[in-house]
Amino acid sequence: MEAAQPTSGRETTFIKFPALSMLESERSLIGIHILVALAALSIGLLMGPFQTFRRSPFVTETLGGGQGIAMPIFSYYYQALTVHGVLNALVFTTFFIVGFSHFVTQRSLQRPLASMSAAWAAFVLMFVGLLLAAFAIITNQANVLFTFYAPLLAHWTFYLGLALVIIGSWVAAAVTFMTYMAWRKDNPGKTVPLAVFAIVANYIMWITASLGVAIEVVTMLLPLSLGIIATTDPQVARILFWFFGHPLVYFWLIPAYVSWYTMLPKQLGVPLFSDSVGRAAFLMLMIFSIPVGVHHLFVDPGISELAKISHSLMTFIVTVPSLLTAFNIGATLERAGRQRGGNMISWVWKQPWSNPLVAAQLCGMLLFIVGGITGIMNASFTLNVALHNTTWVVGHFHMTLAGAVTLTYFGIAYWLVPLIRGRRLFSSKLALAQIYTWFAGMLLFGAGMGRAGIDGATRRTDLGAPGVYISDLWVPWLDLTALGGLVLLISSVLLYVVLVGTWFRSTEPVETEAPIATEGPASSPPALFERWGTWIAIIILSNVIMWGPVLLQGLDFVNGFLVPGQPGAAR
Amino acid sequence: MHIDQYERYWIIIIAAVLGAFFAALLAGLLIFGVRLPSTPGADYFVNPLALDAEFGAPGLRDMGNGQYTAHIIAQMWSFDLGSDETYKTYFESKNPGTTYTGVDASNQVMRVPAGSRVTFSITSRDVSHGFLIERHNANIQVLPGHIGQITVQFNHAGEYRILCHEYCGRAHQQMHALIVVEEV
Repeated sequence: MEAAQPTSGRETTFIKFPALSMLESERSLIGIHILVALAALSIGLLMGPFQTFRRSPFVTETLGGGQGIAMPIFSYYYQALTVHGVLNALVFTTFFIVGFSHFVTQRSLQRPLASMSAAWAAFVLMFVGLLLAAFAIITNQANVLFTFYAPLLAHWTFYLGLALVIIGSWVAAAVTFMTYMAWRKDNPGKTVPLAVFAIVANYIMWITASLGVAIEVVTMLLPLSLGIIATTDPQVARILFWFFGHPLVYFWLIPAYVSWYTMLPKQLGVPLFSDSVGRAAFLMLMIFSIPVGVHHLFVDPGISELAKISHSLMTFIVTVPSLLTAFNIGATLERAGRQRGGNMISWVWKQPWSNPLVAAQLCGMLLFIVGGITGIMNASFTLNVALHNTTWVVGHFHMTLAGAVTLTYFGIAYWLVPLIRGRRLFSSKLALAQIYTWFAGMLLFGAGMGRAGIDGATRRTDLGAPGVYISDLWVPWLDLTALGGLVLLISSVLLYVVLVGTWFRSTEPVETEAPIATEGPASSPPALFERWGTWIAIIILSNVIMWGPVLLQGLDFVNGFLVPGQPGAAR
Repeated sequence: MHIDQYERYWIIIIAAVLGAFFAALLAGLLIFGVRLPSTPGADYFVNPLALDAEFGAPGLRDMGNGQYTAHIIAQMWSFDLGSDETYKTYFESKNPGTTYTGVDASNQVMRVPAGSRVTFSITSRDVSHGFLIERHNANIQVLPGHIGQITVQFNHAGEYRILCHEYCGRAHQQMHALIVVEEV
């Protein structure tokens, strides 16, 4: 292990990080975040294929004798569905993002985190929160799914646990802000590397957005579950949840964009096409991802049509940064393809498709195109009336979250886990097979879910239980999702083999450097970009305008708040 | 700030495409009359524990001229359509000599003549439910304390399920009802 060599001079906190290994302090802090994230994912994703089996008439009737296929670990469908959502969408993502952000921040700025003790305190808060929520779910006292809509109630430990995870992530965000500000003070006039710019923007958005769910949990659900208050208002709870719920998906996406914008060019050996437009895209994501959440509430009774229409328009606007990203990354890929001998057309396939780290990101981008198009369809309120809460929606967000985001995180994990362990990736071939099976399985799954949803197949419904209704129109498509599920199960097994193999079986030293850029761009972007105070003011103002009327319409303490809680634990 | 020439073209294309999409949405709303489910003005809140007025006696009401209203109460785990006809009586009369034994035997059936226009008003007695009519673009998030309202035109005879699309507890998957659109 190389020791850090603090260099003398004005920048006393400068660290030259080792290229092919980690400092002990990094290894423990970042390692534990990533390992908890991957452990959560390992359990959470296992539920998915078995849900597709249970929902498939072919599997249920032919293999299950009409009795349905039991879920692994958990026998109860909705408990397994809660596990799938909470572990994959809330635990895996949050722990992975915090660990990844710590790593990228200190490596990009070439200085240690401003406070290791605060970073550890953040981890402990999040981990205790995870244990509390896991207790409630495992003991069958929190069958409320990962959206936990009131007045269905979970055990209070579920809500306290989620609150601690969020509060912990705020502390982690504060560590990033302090590190960035200390770097800013030491480097006046310099442009911060794009990765750190994006991470700061992501955390600003995250703290703003998660205030909504924190208020919902602390003032409504936690006291209701403890019996301190007797009644609540489901519409207000949904408004507060979706203030948080949509930016949540961008909180997952921005780290994937960090990989596409700052790491993929290094892995391809070309510069990013446009750093400045990239920064503009991250600023737009930070600002426009929150005042759009009513698009999840298009068919809710207690929200005005005007609010629904204006949030629909804002949702179209939040696609702009992703469309800018498509151009920017596309142009970067074209450069790389031409450098590998491609012409106007052939640059598309002249990419390192056999490198799992790159292939993961490219496959993620392809799925994100499907996810983006289906997302614009969801955001169109006229179509949403046909699609809300059908399996179409599940198909859509598996293209984005389980596609673009998770595939990119796999690509990251395949260089980050070797660095944490100090051994090279167990098998590049198996890793590549894992990526492509995931890509194919997810496409089959998404196609089946999407098509069944158009014919009204409902999501979050145990279609393998007695007394359920299944339309003949859904049957072939539900069976197709099971085929996708089978391919994804194979991919999951490959994932376990690669990760466990890297940890326990790999003996060779690390050979892949962390693809971290430590310099800002050659030509500096407008200074306005780093005036965070201005952007925060715009965020507050835009949300007061876009969410204020929605919340005021819902808040009526005389006529509203009359709904008693209902235990969601019974099975 | 430098923006490449092609990137400028791309930004113009983005603006044009999104503008066209939004114009199409507004056209759907203003010209083709697409409406989103909303709470009718005066009755903004209802008390889910004391449902009265039309919800005191839910069901279909003939308003004349092919217009109907239907007041429906969603509850764990059934739709109260105010109808005496159940899956058991409906399917047994349709297939004489058979006995219907499904766990959903007591789910209700509502009959409307083809060509009728039904305004559904729906609320919940307990938790969040969903309301979706197969192949009819009717979709409401049903919340206790609020009334969701939507008007549906039934042109073709057939059997159409009302499905609960929001997880509402243990037997959520059994929560559905049947609309039978009859030839006239």
